[in-house]
Amino acid sequence: MKKKIVALVLACTMGLGMVGCGGSSSSSSASASTTDSSASSEEAGSSELVDGKFAETRHITVEVYDRGNDGGTDPTNNMYTEYIKKGMLEDHNVEVEFVSVPRWTETEEINNLLASGGAPDICLTYSYPTIQTYANMGGVTDLKPLMDQYGSELTNLQNWLGDTNIYWDLDDEKGTLWAIEGKRANNRRINTFIRKDWLDKLGLEEPTTKEEFYNVICAFRDNAKELLGKDADKMVPFSVSFDVGWRAALLIESEMDPKITDKEFYINGFDDRKLTQNGTKAAMKTLNKWYNEGLLWNDFALYTAGDSTEDDMMKAGYVGAFQHNWDYPFRGGDDSIQANLQRIIGDDAKYVAVDCFENSEGKHLKYVDSTAGDRKIFFPTTNTEPLASLLYLDWISAPEHIQYLQIGDEGVTHNVLEDGAIELIPATGDPIMNSGNNIDYTITCNGLHLADDKLTLLSMAHSYPACDPEDVQKALDIAATDNKIAKNVKVPEIVAENGMGEALGSKRDVVYDTALAAKEADFDKVWDSAIEDYLASGGQAIMDERTEKFEAKYGSSTSVE
Amino acid sequence: MKVMTAGNSVAATAEKTNWKAYLKRYWQLYVLLILPMIYFLVFKYIPMKYVLIAFKKYSIVQKVGEMPWADNHGFQYFIQAFHNRDFLNALRNTVGLNLLDLVIGFPIPIIFALILNELNVKWFKKTIQTIAYMPHFLSWVIIYGLAIQLFAPSNGLVNMFITKLGGETVPFLNDPGKWVGTYIFLGIWQSFGWNSIIYLAAIAGISPELYEAASVDGAGRFKKMWHITLPGIKSTIVVLLIMALGNILGSAFDRPFALQNNLVMQNAEVISTFVYKNGIKGLQFSLTTAVGLFQSVVGVFFLLFANWLSRKLGERGIW
Repeated sequence: MKKKIVALVLACTMGLGMVGCGGSSSSSSASASTTDSSASSEEAGSSELVDGKFAETRHITVEVYDRGNDGGTDPTNNMYTEYIKKGMLEDHNVEVEFVSVPRWTETEEINNLLASGGAPDICLTYSYPTIQTYANMGGVTDLKPLMDQYGSELTNLQNWLGDTNIYWDLDDEKGTLWAIEGKRANNRRINTFIRKDWLDKLGLEEPTTKEEFYNVICAFRDNAKELLGKDADKMVPFSVSFDVGWRAALLIESEMDPKITDKEFYINGFDDRKLTQNGTKAAMKTLNKWYNEGLLWNDFALYTAGDSTEDDMMKAGYVGAFQHNWDYPFRGGDDSIQANLQRIIGDDAKYVAVDCFENSEGKHLKYVDSTAGDRKIFFPTTNTEPLASLLYLDWISAPEHIQYLQIGDEGVTHNVLEDGAIELIPATGDPIMNSGNNIDYTITCNGLHLADDKLTLLSMAHSYPACDPEDVQKALDIAATDNKIAKNVKVPEIVAENGMGEALGSKRDVVYDTALAAKEADFDKVWDSAIEDYLASGGQAIMDERTEKFEAKYGSSTSVE
Repeated sequence: MKVMTAGNSVAATAEKTNWKAYLKRYWQLYVLLILPMIYFLVFKYIPMKYVLIAFKKYSIVQKVGEMPWADNHGFQYFIQAFHNRDFLNALRNTVGLNLLDLVIGFPIPIIFALILNELNVKWFKKTIQTIAYMPHFLSWVIIYGLAIQLFAPSNGLVNMFITKLGGETVPFLNDPGKWVGTYIFLGIWQSFGWNSIIYLAAIAGISPELYEAASVDGAGRFKKMWHITLPGIKSTIVVLLIMALGNILGSAFDRPFALQNNLVMQNAEVISTFVYKNGIKGLQFSLTTAVGLFQSVVGVFFLLFANWLSRKLGERGIW
């Protein structure tokens, strides 16, 4: 019986398609009605609003990430959602309902919601290819005409995002705009962290070069008994997880040619983990050597995204160094890595940021993203309330709303220090923020952004409760050293990228992992054949099309300017 | 002529009354049957119309009928699949892993059932049987959790034991070759107890008189097993074998998906996980529907062939 059912498994596979089509009848009619409504409102101008308010209450649904954190609140119903709901109803007569989507499987979840016609009116995702694929099927509302019509009234949105972020994804040729880019309030990206107390114990200085870093992690390995006692065999001098391209990013970037042209960077840039950029192979060779010398975590590939094992190892004090988001050990309030480490090991145990991956020019160059390129907001064609949705984006971009959502109430979630700086304090119960600075609700703003810019700078180091502001300040400073900001290459859609994001992304991880764990003597062979397979599976086609379209737009120039 | 017609109509009425009589007498059973029939209709047969997606350019906002036909007379996505290196690799792995499962995993529940049948201490037999079929109730996610605790290279219990004894760690989970062994082993461990139940039931149906007669004739344990028990459950074995063959290209999703990792992907990617990654995550519904359809059609052919073969060889087959 079981086997028979398996024989029918395809039916189920298609069942998903079915759901898509089942829902599609409604979505196609919805798309028609969207056009209708926008057409009719065009005639009427924005007369449906009186003092920014709808005459009749409108209803919209908004996506919010569910991070499933321990002791967190219901992401769709808490103090902050109430604040938004109340504000939207009062200011615009719009009822807001939140729809939660698991953070770690957001792409699949959005795919399913879109396919079933049940996607929220306001969707966000980090993956532009998902939006593009869905747009090609006719499932995304073009925001260009909407912005042309209502843009001038959305002053908060205009002031905060500006044309850069609003029109970042505008297709110059077709004139379509499928998504608006939320803004990174802080485009620092990645840092190297190292156990300060271990350095002190072994009488070592903070490393300032790659070589010194290598010596330090060797010292961690060789002194495991002294540092960890009976847990010596759990020592991981330098932890790199399955997402090697991210978790060794500073090493990889330090091997890249600092003079790389915009053109070369763009052509190889379809993979945001820099797999085919110049220098990556050299960096991986180093990493492979370190792996074979017992400096990395042997079990790294067995755990996948969202698994907390590696974080738990850091919290338990087994990890000497790692690279991650510039504020990684400080995130999470009382449950942050730093706070746990100090609880478990002792007050002097902590990670500090160091800057030790120099490139051929001796600089600590870090490739950071522009303010755009982060979360993308789009409206599926099932959205029948485009104006109400735009008003939501505008409301959520108002400085005072961002500020309240990010710092909450005085005495509950923050204190005001003597110099005026805002210091976040751990909250309990309903005021808990499920994401740092509530970035899941301030969807147009990622990172701390208070109404007053000076106050933001003053407060940043204090926005990590349970962590020493000096440590945070150091991480902030290092992450801002020698930054190179990504440019917006304006070429038409790259057709070869269609539907390939997922397949190539997982293949890239396979390439990185297998090369990292190869025997040292086999490294070149493993790397070359894995890259060859990667290119043959669609990577080369994308690079060729990118070259062609770049040249069509910028001619023989290798620069975007 | 007349007689013939009369005869026919008599037979027809007899059949008619027969049918009605059955329905009247057993109507409760027929009512019970309605629910599963609705289930199959709604969840298994109606969705089959979406097989068409394999031959059409999928669009999320159109009905199946409205979607444009794919190129190459609708076979665009089948051609694309067979040019896709990852699909061919997944196909190879699916067949390979399923064959290994079949060759190694198929006889084990039979042997286990035979051994269990020979045990005379009832409580011991029951205990062993219960322990053996318990893993069947564990999900693959949990089994993977157990596997990591046992087999991980640095912190796994087995490897810690090996290193304490002075040996080298064995990459059970992160070497492609060794992974296949672990995969097959875990599959057998999870299911052999459960699969043996059907054989034990078949064995229980063998007439005890046969054993008594054999004992009188002086047959020992092994002889009885060979000449009575095995032939007694032969038809059960054949039916299960045919169904297993029908599944040679099919694959469960949970087991490979839970057990695979990047280091072993060259051996661990199977069709079901390929379909998940490219179809559900990558939004390539047409391509993966084509792959799923191909998988099922080949499965049906295997099933038909195995059934035909077993009937040729004098067995009953499954119909």
